[in-house]
Amino acid sequence: MDIVSLKEVSKESKILLLKELGYQSDGEFVLSNAGQKVIDKYVEIPVKLNNMAILPGSTVILDDNELSITSYIEEYGDVFQ
Amino acid sequence: MSSNNFNSDIIEATTKGVLEWSADRISNLVKSFKERKLAFIKEPKTIEIVREQYNSGESKFYQIYIKNKQLLLLVRIGLALRRLEKEDEKRQNLRDKLFNKYKIEGLHIAELVENGVLSRYVGILIEKLISIEDLEKEIENFLTNIEKHTLFIQWTSKKIEIIKKATIKINSNSPHIFVISGVKSAGNILKECVDDLRYIFKEYEMERITGEKEILFFIRKMPEKY
Repeated sequence: MDIVSLKEVSKESKILLLKELGYQSDGEFVLSNAGQKVIDKYVEIPVKLNNMAILPGSTVILDDNELSITSYIEEYGDVFQ
Repeated sequence: MSSNNFNSDIIEATTKGVLEWSADRISNLVKSFKERKLAFIKEPKTIEIVREQYNSGESKFYQIYIKNKQLLLLVRIGLALRRLEKEDEKRQNLRDKLFNKYKIEGLHIAELVENGVLSRYVGILIEKLISIEDLEKEIENFLTNIEKHTLFIQWTSKKIEIIKKATIKINSNSPHIFVISGVKSAGNILKECVDDLRYIFKEYEMERITGEKEILFFIRKMPEKY
């Protein structure tokens, strides 16, 4: 699986990407289509646009940190190979 | 999406400062994402670090003996903490998230793995030639009751407090193995307590790992025959 870095991607492009996936953003946080902040289900914090990970498994949106990614792999297996 | 396209994106981004994606490009990326051919993340290095630790020999070893999924997750996070040893900001961020989610016990379990305490603890158990079943039980009991079996020294700790806390924990719980750990300045404070602790805990053999990290293992001696 290819891993696409979002580090250098513009805010506008990230918002368009989210929109294509059925989400939105207020410019700081990732929001659901209904406008609710998307919460990282593993560390239970709102996901910020500038630190997000979008992973397969329907669409799993997480904060970019080792605890969330390890928890994700525990749940979904090592899908990144 | 191929890796080559991704690399060209990086070059473009580096040149322009910020990478702009066209609507077509985004549609193609989303198509590949839905086919599970790619994932997005701010820092791909996060995934690299996690996978490296997840697939390491040490992780695979613990996977055999730790059946509790939450404990195993914390152990794996400990391996990630060790990997982030020289990246203070990322390491502190991970510690904060760990503490917020799993409280002090979760943080302590991960720190024991990070500092190599768990691997030495398992080594001591193996030297005692206990059965595989007992090894599993001992590791899980140690991790589940981490606060009964360990004392983590803070840089603010006082020598008298350390001795008092260690005495209370050992007398209350009579652990087979008790670990006292201090890192950096906390390790220096612990170094000053070593002689007193060795004198107080006569029923235990002491094993010491010293250096930047000061780690003391107190292993209960076989009672003498009367």
